[in-house]
Amino acid sequence: MAGAFAFKGCQKIRGAQIRGLLEAKDFFLFDCDGVIWHGENAITGAAKVVNALIRRGKNVVFVTNNCTRPRENYVSKFTRLGFTDVMLDQIFSSSYCSALYLRDVVKVRGQVFVIGCEGLCRELLEAGIPCVEETDEPGATIYNCALAPDVKAVLVGHDDKLTFLKLAKASCYLRDPECLFLATDNDPWHPLSGGRILPGSGSLTAAIEVASGRKATVIGKPSRFMFECISSQFSGVDPAQCLMVGDRLETDMLFGSNCGLDTMLTLTGVSQIEEAQEYRNSDLDSNRSYVPDYVVDTIADFLPAFEENEEQND
Amino acid sequence: MSGSGSKCVRLSGPLVKPLLDSVDCVLFDCDGVIWRGNQAVAGAPQVINLLKERGKRVLFVTNNSTKTRSMYAEKMSALGFNVTEDEVFGTAFCCAAYLQTVCALRGKVYLLGSAAMQQELQAVGIQHVGVGPDHVSGTQQDWANVPLDPDVKAVVVGFDEHFSYMKLNRALQYLLQNDCLFVGTNRDSRLPLEGGKAVPGTGCLLQAVEAAAQRQAQTVGKPSRFMFDCLAARFGVQPERCMMVGDRLDTDILLGSNCGLKTLLTLTGVSTVAEAEAHRASGCAGRQGMVPDYYVESIADLLPALQG
Repeated sequence: MAGAFAFKGCQKIRGAQIRGLLEAKDFFLFDCDGVIWHGENAITGAAKVVNALIRRGKNVVFVTNNCTRPRENYVSKFTRLGFTDVMLDQIFSSSYCSALYLRDVVKVRGQVFVIGCEGLCRELLEAGIPCVEETDEPGATIYNCALAPDVKAVLVGHDDKLTFLKLAKASCYLRDPECLFLATDNDPWHPLSGGRILPGSGSLTAAIEVASGRKATVIGKPSRFMFECISSQFSGVDPAQCLMVGDRLETDMLFGSNCGLDTMLTLTGVSQIEEAQEYRNSDLDSNRSYVPDYVVDTIADFLPAFEENEEQND
Repeated sequence: MSGSGSKCVRLSGPLVKPLLDSVDCVLFDCDGVIWRGNQAVAGAPQVINLLKERGKRVLFVTNNSTKTRSMYAEKMSALGFNVTEDEVFGTAFCCAAYLQTVCALRGKVYLLGSAAMQQELQAVGIQHVGVGPDHVSGTQQDWANVPLDPDVKAVVVGFDEHFSYMKLNRALQYLLQNDCLFVGTNRDSRLPLEGGKAVPGTGCLLQAVEAAAQRQAQTVGKPSRFMFDCLAARFGVQPERCMMVGDRLDTDILLGSNCGLKTLLTLTGVSTVAEAEAHRASGCAGRQGMVPDYYVESIADLLPALQG
């Protein structure tokens, strides 16, 4: 067990060790992109793993910083890609959790100015939170634009329709110190299949932070809030029972560490083992939080553990 | 006036004339100092014109990249300042000079910037692509695979009111190439306008690109030395006989300190005396460069000494 040793962490595990972990843990949190799928392609064996965990009575949830689609779309995607038993309440996206934050933590009264896509606005509306309507104002310039009344929060996510005008409006709203500043996540870029990357919410948030002179409250990983949402929905989750499985050291592993969860890095996504080892070998104590407890090449490495179980039960 | 160690002194009455006598050259920032938006600060044209009449070299150093030197000269004329275009150093002009001389750029520029930047680049023979509106179309895969011009060897970020996700994306894709240079005009967070209004500044756009690309840009504008070196080379300015007048501690005053100039803060723009005092009281060596030698409410406070 990764624990009290000086060079803990980054332990590549397989076979019997994975079986041990599967028995010890009750609650599995999976990131999505780079862990169970790449775009529209499921990672080989991932669906079998997830289905097997669910059938064995384990709690399985999906925790993603991707804020571009509403949860219903995720359910369809899971089904489409062969993950047969995944339900809406197992899905925790940064957009859904942003809506929860505004509704339940802040109890926002008023409108929210959203820099993000339709999927994000839909999650807010479903939670009963009004978003400022994007209207085409003829003649609006960055020097002179109409501001909506009663804007109590600015929420920044991934917005492929970002314009300077939106930046200008956001910084105007944020001049009011009572107006909250939230970001779905801080990922500076996100990967597409084929090794390509695109600018992420983090880069847009950075622009608004500079414009407003204020720091955003980040909802998504590595912030703890999404774990609090999960815990709340499942009436209390014991961190010791959990395993966080992800592909990105600076979001998934740090998230796990921040919430007191054991962490597992899978190498089918963003981060490489060498990066994890660099963090482990670093002198800075704070870098330890990026180091995964366990490492697998792919979550398909869980499969032999299930088969062995089945053999033993025969 | 020698560097006596006293700082952040209110410049008034008998102190003005000796200070002006101690300098041959005065550098002025523009936004928040001599004008706000399209309105001259009251008394500013008289100050500039009188300084010139008294034989001082007067030059303008601005981080604003939205005008060419000739556009600045036009604006100045319209507002009553007797200024010629070679006396103005804006970041559009200086950025082109930087790419040409310091970077020795061979190749095109992917430009996030204004028509003014386009023109200044053209004037030194540097070709550019990308200016103007640019919106997403197609799928995410299309965006990540946008065709890249193989001649582009630098991404340059200035003030761009057409900034969009697609432009941010294109800049990112170019910057993923290791041999692509990355230059920004300045890091100002806000561009001040008349009536105390402001819009997000180039610093916001630059930070967005830097975050996405996980790379730092070289910046041309204040407080980096380049703009001073640029004007000093053209006009033979002696730092110890030169004064920088500005409204921002972290750009104007810091530039002045970095280059060994006298510094004067005017309160018609962004920074306050309280902020200057806070830097001084911090005891932090890195912040002392942002403490001005003197401050005035407005540059019009120099008038009595000039008129007398």
